[in-house]
Amino acid sequence: MTELFVQEWRGWTPHRDAAGEARLETSAKPAGTAIPSMLRRRLNLIGRAVCDMLIALDPVAELDVLHASRHGDGERTLEMLYAIDAGEPLSPARFGLSVHNAIIGVYSIASGNRRSQQAVAASGAEWAALMAEAQGYLSDGTERLLVVFGDQPVPARFADFAPHTPAAAVALVLGTTPTPGARRLALSTAPEADGAALQPLDVIDWLMQRRGPLSCPLAGRSWTLAPGA
Amino acid sequence: MTTTALEHELKEMIIETLELEDVTPADIDPDEPLFVEGLGLDSIDALELGLALQKRYGITLESDAESSRQHFANLRSLAALVEARRAN
Repeated sequence: MTELFVQEWRGWTPHRDAAGEARLETSAKPAGTAIPSMLRRRLNLIGRAVCDMLIALDPVAELDVLHASRHGDGERTLEMLYAIDAGEPLSPARFGLSVHNAIIGVYSIASGNRRSQQAVAASGAEWAALMAEAQGYLSDGTERLLVVFGDQPVPARFADFAPHTPAAAVALVLGTTPTPGARRLALSTAPEADGAALQPLDVIDWLMQRRGPLSCPLAGRSWTLAPGA
Repeated sequence: MTTTALEHELKEMIIETLELEDVTPADIDPDEPLFVEGLGLDSIDALELGLALQKRYGITLESDAESSRQHFANLRSLAALVEARRAN
């Protein structure tokens, strides 16, 4: 199987202390300054964070993008359901931005990236799905690609039916070669007995070496970071 | 003047409806294009604006693209449309 290396990464969450780690942005409101204001106005907080991270990681916008979110934009979807219930016409902008690939769509327009883009939801196995997809692309000849995983709290109305999801997003450049500073992704099929579904915040903790292996119980897989060389 | 008041109302409606976070009413020149150039709105904004006109003034635009292009050319033409066709 093709070896995977984490060549670079960026993260955003207001729920952690960066402790000097420049790759982690912790502001409550990410600026979204990499995106022109006429496009930025349509992005929620996580969308602004994701676009800034993708443009920082791939300034020439030449890499394929895999994007995963378990819940997507629950707020806009719920607002549309309220509108339907009230017999009101639907907002085209709200609809356009509620779809699962909305954030990477805006990123594509802003950056001029015309490469392949995929938006994934996997009921809590998002990280495993991203790694499987990345493996496919990299085995098929792609040398590097962008992988993004982001989620935010579900609307209060749904909170009793979904796991607590702190706002966080993480973007990685995965590649087949160990660039300077890269870390190797080691996969094991014996996950730790931890029942919780992986969230973006877990991936950030893992990249910052604040937790052990990243285990996905649904996929029966576990990932560790090893020195690159 | 009534027209000026209506134009100002429309400017505020555009800013609020289209979430133009960095734009003030003074930034919208009534004679400049609203779409692509000038203010720089796009096709989703056109649909959203059509919806706002329907909700606020009871105006339903024809599906005829050419007449919509004329109505949406700039703020003055939009104000003329509302003046002529508002339901209330």
